Amino acid sequence: MAKAIHRVSVVLRSVETLPGDIRLLELADRDDWPLPPFTAGAHVDLHLPSGRIRQYSLCGDPAENTRYRIAVAREAAGRGGSAEVHAALRPGQELLLSLPRNNFPLVPSGRVVMVAGGIGLTPFLSMLPDLTRTGRDFVLHVCAKAPERHGFTAALGGLAPGRLALHFSRDGTRLDLAALVAGLGPEDHLYVCGPAGMMAEARRLGAGLGARLHLELFGAGEATGHTAYEVELARSGAVIPVAAGETMLEALRGAGLDIPSSCEAGVCLECRTRYLAGTPEHRDLAMPAADRHAWLTPCVSGCAGGRIVLDLPNPDAPAAG
Amino acid sequence: MGGWNGTVEHLHIAPRSFLPMREMERIALVAGRGITGDRYSTGDGFYSDRPEEGRQVTLFEAETLEALLRDHRITLAPAEHRRNITVRGVPLNHLVGRRFRVGPVLLEGTRLSTPCRHIEQITGQEIFTVLLHRSGLHARILEGGEVTPGAAVTPE
Repeated sequence: MAKAIHRVSVVLRSVETLPGDIRLLELADRDDWPLPPFTAGAHVDLHLPSGRIRQYSLCGDPAENTRYRIAVAREAAGRGGSAEVHAALRPGQELLLSLPRNNFPLVPSGRVVMVAGGIGLTPFLSMLPDLTRTGRDFVLHVCAKAPERHGFTAALGGLAPGRLALHFSRDGTRLDLAALVAGLGPEDHLYVCGPAGMMAEARRLGAGLGARLHLELFGAGEATGHTAYEVELARSGAVIPVAAGETMLEALRGAGLDIPSSCEAGVCLECRTRYLAGTPEHRDLAMPAADRHAWLTPCVSGCAGGRIVLDLPNPDAPAAG
Repeated sequence: MGGWNGTVEHLHIAPRSFLPMREMERIALVAGRGITGDRYSTGDGFYSDRPEEGRQVTLFEAETLEALLRDHRITLAPAEHRRNITVRGVPLNHLVGRRFRVGPVLLEGTRLSTPCRHIEQITGQEIFTVLLHRSGLHARILEGGEVTPGAAVTPE
């Protein structure tokens, strides 16, 4: 489990139930100190008590600096994260978050055409205050199965006529995405966040838009291009998988090893670790060349093959776990 | 070591890791401990799981912020470098192992601060490399007291 000091530590202040089996969570610092700032479209990793980590868009106004809001729809067929949020989280509970990250930022100019499917509306809720404040031209298409499954009527109530279009598939007013894409102007940017089917359709129909197509992808869509490998601990024989996009240090810590580190950028060498077999990709900035045949830097080093063997755990280290 | 006289320009604290630093009109330094209300006096700092006597208070040079803008076009505000005391006219890199006064407080430099990805994550700017060898000084508090902006910083 991550330590509280290595994450943003917040208290769940309130839980509101919205139509469509949605829980709206309000999170704050325990003393209402300002939270790390975020930009419209950002998300955080939420660390659930079970150890699950899930990504949720911040759906509050970025200008409100002491509150984060996230909205979670219960997905019965999901991997368990949303069910846990609904069943297990109570006001007053302390939760850990990552810093906000934004893979879905607003471009600074051009008309913004937003398409939200179901709970995929959430990142747009943080964009609306920004767009309104700056006087940008925008339109938001909200797609849901039926009016009663659409939980954010109140949040959208203040939008000027012409800014909001509602589409309910049950009522036969399903959005025609192909027609929408065909009608975009040369400066228009298309933003889409919704279920997998909608994202695939948007990717296909919007391919010609190039950099003017913006898709918010969570979970498996976030492949980083780094390949996975395994770390073998010579002293215990344990084998720890390092996932694509994960650092060796993160994987070792995830397996319960206490590896001291400081800069986590390959400079201070505090996490320096001896390796016995395999070919590292060193990537540090500071290690003398003569040391590299025996040492690597788990905060930045990778593996050029499928497995690397480390001289771990340290004999004087407390038992892992 | 003499030949310099500096001043305190800004004072900042934060109660927990990752939270924005807040500018203060005065801070209280407690000998052997830290700054009242700051994360490293309560064990709530990002590095508090690796206790270090010399991290009771941290200092940063105002001149470095100006150099980042001048040489790299990077605007870094005093609230963003995440050190507690921003000083002007103080050669911090010369003060490892030296004693100096900040207002009534007696400090001893323990080591140069190292930049960290933590600050880059927080500020969202690529500042790690350009802060190498100039990201401030860690110090321990030998004699405590209150410090306000404008306080003199002098070699002991």
